[in-house]
Amino acid sequence: MANVPTDERLPLGLEALAGAPAPARTGRWAGHLDVGVPAAAIVLLFAACFVWPTLLPLAKPVGGNIFEANLGPLSPGHLLGTDTVGNDVLSRLLYGGRTSLETALAVNLIGLFLGGTIGALAAYLGGAVDAVAMRGLDVLIAFPALVLALAIADSLGPGQGHTILALSFFAVPVFARNARAATLRLRELTFMTAARLCGTRTWRMLLRHIAPNILPQLLTFGLLSMGAIMVIEGALSFLGLGIALPDPSWGNMIFQGQQSISATPLLVLFPSAFLFVAVLAFNLLGDALRARWNVR
Amino acid sequence: MERQVTREPGLLLEVDDLHVRLRRGDREIRAVRGLTYRVSVGRTLAIVGESGSGKTVSCRAVMGLLPPTAVVTGSARLEGKELLGLPDAEMREHLGADLAMVFQDPVRSLNPTMRIGAQITEAIQEHLPLSRGEAGRRAVELLERVRIPLAGRRFHEYPHQLSGGMRQRVMIAIALACHPRLLIADEATTALDVTTQAQIMELLLELQRELGMALVFISHDLSLAASYADEVMVMYAGRAVERAPTRTLFAQVRMPYTRALLEAIPRLDRPAHSLLPVVPGQPPDPSAQHVGCSFAERCPNVRPACRETAPPLEQHEPDHFWACWNPCQVGWAG
Amino acid sequence: MTATAAPAVSADRLIGRVAALATSPSLRLAARRLVIAVPVLWGVSALTFIVMSVLPGNAAQQILGVQATPAQVHQLELELGLDKPAWLRYASWIGGVLTGNLGRSLASGQPVTAIIGQRLPITVELVVYALAVSVALAVPVALLAARRPGGLADRLSMGISMAGLSMANYVLALLLVIALAVYLPVFPAIGFVPLTESVGANLRSLTLPALAIGLPLACFYTRLLRADIADQMQEDYVVTARAKGVGPWQVLVRHALRNSLFGLLTIVGLNLGTLIGATVIIEQIFSLPGIGQAFLQAINNRDVPLIEAIVLVLATAVVLANLLTDILYAVLDPRIRYGQRPD
Repeated sequence: MANVPTDERLPLGLEALAGAPAPARTGRWAGHLDVGVPAAAIVLLFAACFVWPTLLPLAKPVGGNIFEANLGPLSPGHLLGTDTVGNDVLSRLLYGGRTSLETALAVNLIGLFLGGTIGALAAYLGGAVDAVAMRGLDVLIAFPALVLALAIADSLGPGQGHTILALSFFAVPVFARNARAATLRLRELTFMTAARLCGTRTWRMLLRHIAPNILPQLLTFGLLSMGAIMVIEGALSFLGLGIALPDPSWGNMIFQGQQSISATPLLVLFPSAFLFVAVLAFNLLGDALRARWNVR
Repeated sequence: MERQVTREPGLLLEVDDLHVRLRRGDREIRAVRGLTYRVSVGRTLAIVGESGSGKTVSCRAVMGLLPPTAVVTGSARLEGKELLGLPDAEMREHLGADLAMVFQDPVRSLNPTMRIGAQITEAIQEHLPLSRGEAGRRAVELLERVRIPLAGRRFHEYPHQLSGGMRQRVMIAIALACHPRLLIADEATTALDVTTQAQIMELLLELQRELGMALVFISHDLSLAASYADEVMVMYAGRAVERAPTRTLFAQVRMPYTRALLEAIPRLDRPAHSLLPVVPGQPPDPSAQHVGCSFAERCPNVRPACRETAPPLEQHEPDHFWACWNPCQVGWAG
Repeated sequence: MTATAAPAVSADRLIGRVAALATSPSLRLAARRLVIAVPVLWGVSALTFIVMSVLPGNAAQQILGVQATPAQVHQLELELGLDKPAWLRYASWIGGVLTGNLGRSLASGQPVTAIIGQRLPITVELVVYALAVSVALAVPVALLAARRPGGLADRLSMGISMAGLSMANYVLALLLVIALAVYLPVFPAIGFVPLTESVGANLRSLTLPALAIGLPLACFYTRLLRADIADQMQEDYVVTARAKGVGPWQVLVRHALRNSLFGLLTIVGLNLGTLIGATVIIEQIFSLPGIGQAFLQAINNRDVPLIEAIVLVLATAVVLANLLTDILYAVLDPRIRYGQRPD
């Protein structure tokens, strides 16, 4: 690729190693709002989607009574109403959220660890290994994410596991590229040469020197891609290939809502709003941490 | 090009009690604390000082090139017209036309994606009602004037295609595009090698004579000042501490700081491998309030009075100003 | 002063141009990128084939569905040549691709190339429209924001753009339909009018889709461009420009923006894959007869040859588009086009 302006600044880890103090914030509460607010939103979201369904009484997301279809919000027993087949909307939102969040989390973790390792290793070892790895990544990245995910999901069939696998094909190369760029920057630094001269083994280099320094960059990237993955998973489910109905996911709920969009716009708006808030929260948090840790 | 005749023949720039406060994060830095000097037509003033002495900031303040968070007080008059506090649009009429600046780093001071010729014609067309073709011709003339060979070809080239010395010449050409009365060279030769440095300085002086400009050049190099300036002003910690015509200054150095600067210049007649006399310590923190003379901690001539009150800059001998309670008495030989 | 010939004299300029191009690093860079693109394209075709024709356990079984009898499955296998080893199948498929024969659609029997040929222009038009929207919005907003960093325009645009890029494009599409096609019937909710019929109607039918794709992208570009412009404004050459008396807007556009556009070009290039992928879902929502819609239909029909061909075409398009971006960058950036020259 031509001069990529992204991924070029050093991760903060370096400063920590040098013993420099972290960038001074103003020390007032306001200075931490940029991290605090989205983080709180994310915690709330997770609590709502994971804790509430298990611990608190909630209607079932599937197997609703057709006689209770299309109830509006604030109906008895259904806080947000029911959908066209009688399922409780709130329950579907929360269970669907759990599915969406789980999937995105899994994909990102796979991307982070698998992709991060591949990228860092390729950059560190350099030479032929790097060249081959880069071409391989180029091939994977050449496929538009949705197209690749759809093709793979089609081959494997719908379902959460398959969706995670399909999306990982997209996430791993992207993380790998990021990790590679970060490691390349790191390689230039003197402390790396010093460590190499001491005869440090490769795996030790990776673990003790490279990993802690590229981690902030990868983490912020991971946060930012949480949103992207959730959107793509939503698209897959919307198109019928991600999470299969009747299991809820925000994506397939939006699809369902679209069928009766003029009659019951709320069925589109509720899952859309939840998806939007989730993505926004992750983006805000990722952005704030990126600014704070001075990572590009 | 028509120009108005100066009302007071000779005096071009008058700076009085200039104060500049800058913001860095939530700290306030007093970069310039009460600077006063004069520059006359056709004369060369050298402002000398170490990093952080305020020499660059003071000149940028005069030209209005500081960030909007800077607070500038005092007076800076160009041919009697007050420059500080002018509305932006009015200041822009003077910038480039009446006063111009040449910057230190020619690599970073030129737009890398704009042709040399265009960068010069931009300066020309900003102030003069010339057509594109006329401006272009004038630009080539300027390139020739600053001794760039193959000026016609260079006109179409980009900055990275030229060497450092040539880039600096281009900077000078840009600065001179509209024949300004005052040219400020801010460490214009610091980034160049010694030979090129001499060439550029010679060029500047020659152009000054040809165009009848006043030249202010900023440097940390006293020997440069000695070779090329009519008058030298030494700055320390935001203040002028000594000012005199060059001969006078070097013949009878009074400020211990100036004396120390002079002694730090490497000389051929010192024994080989002898230690270079350096000034111990650091300049004071510009964001802190300071009582007494700023140089007191590092001064070999320090007396109790020095820590209590800051000495004012006064004319103690004809044409020789200094700010010291305990100046050196013996002239510096060399 | 001696009189000089006008600087626009052809001889000087021509010499400069020719010399530059002949020794141009741009040329070498372009050639290098071209060479690298070839193995990538090969890899793309291989991966497509593996995903579509090798991964699924029994392709014939999948195509015919669960009700098929073993005899029917075996029959189809022979027809599709599925009994041959994988590499042989790949070779014959690639042979077909290179000679322009992409097989026939299982659903309609039409030659795949014909289907793609019909639908590609529509998707291309949509992509170009969305791209134009995104850049046309991003540049002025970024300039306004960067004019006074921290000011009202800056904070407002950054806030709105953060919200905008957090919006999924299919969600935005549905919202746009509700707002601008149902409540205020300004644009059609679905359907496509070809250019040949009416330019106005054609553009109207593509506007909501282009907005759905382009607006989130615009938000993304605005943020990046604004950051880049703000960075450029800290550079020394900006002080030089101000010292010449150049006004603030000219400095912003003539100097800072000019240098920031390179970064934008790179980002736009990197995002082309996302742009192309987005057409799949957007065409579905708006019923546009483009490649994306064909792709989804093919998936629903298990139309393997068509799916394979479309994936190949789309991925190849991304590789070529990135190649083009690289080359464009190399040509436009004078630091690359005219390398270092000794004096």
